[in-house]
Amino acid sequence: MVSGAFVEVAPPVRSREARAAGMPDTVPASPALWQRVRRIAPPYLYLLPAVVLLVVWTYQPLAQTFVLSTYSWNLVPSTPMVDVGLGNYERLLSTPELGRSVWRTVVVILGILPFTVGIPVAVALLTRRVRGRAQGVYRALVFAPMLVAPVAGAAVWQWLLDPSAGAVNRVLGTDVNWLNTAGTAQLSIIVITGWHVVGFAVLVVTAGLAGINPDYAAAAQVDGASRSQVTRWITLPLLSPTLAFLVLMTVLLSAQWTFPLIDTLTQGGPVGSTTNLYYLLWEYGFRSHDAGLAAAAGVLFFLGFIVVAALLTRLAERLSHHDD
Amino acid sequence: MSRIQLQGLTRRFGAVTAVDDIGLDVADGEFLVLLGPSGCGKSTLLRMIAGLLPPSEGRLWLDDTEITHLPPQRRDVAMVFQSYALYPHLSVARNIGFPLRTRKRPRAEIKAKVAEVAATLGLTDLLDRKPRELSGGQRQRVALGRALVRDPGAFLMDEPLSNLDAKLRAGTRAEIAGLHRRLRATTVYVTHDQVEAMTMATRIALLNEGRLEQLGTPSEVYDAPASVFAATFLGSPAMNVVDTTVRAVDGTLVAEAEGLRLSLGIDADIPDRPVRLGVRPEHLTLTSAGGQGIRAVVTAVENLGSEEVAHCDTGVSVRGPRPLGVVPGEAVTLSARPEHLHLFDHDSGRRLAWQAASVPQPV
Ligand SMILES: Nc1ncnc2c1ncn2[C@@H]1O[C@H](COP(=O)(O)OP(=O)(O)OP(=O)(O)O)[C@@H](O)[C@H]1O
Ligand SMILES: [Mg+2]
Repeated sequence: MVSGAFVEVAPPVRSREARAAGMPDTVPASPALWQRVRRIAPPYLYLLPAVVLLVVWTYQPLAQTFVLSTYSWNLVPSTPMVDVGLGNYERLLSTPELGRSVWRTVVVILGILPFTVGIPVAVALLTRRVRGRAQGVYRALVFAPMLVAPVAGAAVWQWLLDPSAGAVNRVLGTDVNWLNTAGTAQLSIIVITGWHVVGFAVLVVTAGLAGINPDYAAAAQVDGASRSQVTRWITLPLLSPTLAFLVLMTVLLSAQWTFPLIDTLTQGGPVGSTTNLYYLLWEYGFRSHDAGLAAAAGVLFFLGFIVVAALLTRLAERLSHHDD
Repeated sequence: MSRIQLQGLTRRFGAVTAVDDIGLDVADGEFLVLLGPSGCGKSTLLRMIAGLLPPSEGRLWLDDTEITHLPPQRRDVAMVFQSYALYPHLSVARNIGFPLRTRKRPRAEIKAKVAEVAATLGLTDLLDRKPRELSGGQRQRVALGRALVRDPGAFLMDEPLSNLDAKLRAGTRAEIAGLHRRLRATTVYVTHDQVEAMTMATRIALLNEGRLEQLGTPSEVYDAPASVFAATFLGSPAMNVVDTTVRAVDGTLVAEAEGLRLSLGIDADIPDRPVRLGVRPEHLTLTSAGGQGIRAVVTAVENLGSEEVAHCDTGVSVRGPRPLGVVPGEAVTLSARPEHLHLFDHDSGRRLAWQAASVPQPV
């Protein structure tokens, strides 16, 4: 008879035990300080040029605006700047013009929203099936107004809106002095700005639609959804991040888009009816030469828009669905 | 549940003919697998059945109604997409309930039906999650649930398992097969995986470059491949196919080539004919060198766990229980029984069957 015993087969050696058992250590010792710096530094070095440009062109002027807003100064280099503390802010908040211009800005934003969201969505959905060369031609047509310089566009519109010989009055059969009547001046500014930006918005929406996987619409159709149900339940919800982006752009930039038109067509009039926040700021600084007041207004708008932008981005993030 | 009939279905994309004159009759309750290599037109064919792609030519019927020109909403089929296409902004419950919502069913009914389907698929705990919060296997089941929630006339599935890992795939394969046994639902299932096709199908439709290559039960397609393409597409490793000449020797037919001589077991006398001879690796046996068969030298031996595959210098491979008992470099002779030999026409590649001439009647 042969005697014996069962022996457990040893598992593969693990590295921690190997080190304890005195085998060669494969993990290097902690690196010297400069080595660590060399390892950490590259991303910051890559960022450096961009950061320098941002500081020089954005953050430094911003800081200077803050400083300027506490002085009284008429923009003439030879006159001294007088420190007035928060005086400019008190003056600004006590003018009735401010409240009125905020309200007009809101009107401009609401008036331009249909041009940046409503019309583009409708146009992009309706023309999705345009294919081939027709698609290129059609896109170029829609985008063309964006390429017209705002001041040149304004000159042409001034001519079209002319109360006596303008084409608009002739086509509508009306007799309105569009740019010199309090009610219609603001409307004209909104429509002309909308005409400028609508092509860009259509392109953004078209790109957003193209980014949606067509399988979703196909699946919904097989699941029994009619064309309008697919649009309402699948396409529009999946498009919502794009729409949120457009709303954000409109809210933050509408008043800026109107500036060249206001300056060319109405100069803020008649009787201030087209003076929105940006135009007011510009008037303070470069008409009244009140640099401190303009800077204070700039600071207030800056803070106000930060709050609005934060709210809207939070909303946009909530709406976006990770499509995978 | 319904029967699906296709007649001369063709789809062209410009100069490419993706699906070429396909005729199929899928019986009620059948599990038909569309099998074929990548790009052979499986998805295109399935999308035409779903109504997502209009055919260039041909017609199709669901039961007795022609649906060739019906939009997808009005065809009574449910489809599981390769990408699952779960609506990313809707919860699992709303995804599964979507087909009922489009049919304007009352909310309570949708809720009950969703709960019932979720219970069968083990999704009850996941109903409030969004698709991105699910694993691949869970997504696959949600996609299946969305198809199951309304009793459709037929299920169409486009490679639903291709995104899963090997283990999950085996599990889900069994799940789908079980579901089909329970529901007896007419199913058209697309795959390029021969294991899925062999294990799940009641019939396999093998496609090649848009054309139907063979239609038959898994055993028919495996045991009697209709062409060299079918023979080499199914089976792993693929069937050995060698160019040979059939000639009569001493009153029986043999296939001959250099270093190869296999008896076909047919007593007849015909003129020499070039053919392609096919034999599956598992039907070759190793015999002592020097006998009749295929003479070859082993170049490599692969270990599959339970079996081994020996590859030889002539391109022939042998498969058998491990150990095969050969080593690379060894000269071997391989033999096969006549009933395991397949003959294909040398030019067309179609299967050749032996048909004994009727005995001449004495006048
Ligand atoms: N929209 C299209 N435009 C042009 N050609 C297409 C289009 N869709 C498919 N094809 C072509 O039709 C052929 C079949 O495509 P299909 O998607 O049906 O293949 P498949 O068998 O599903 O392949 P896979 O297994 O890779 O999914 C391919 O050659 C493909 O390039
Ligand atoms: Mg496919």
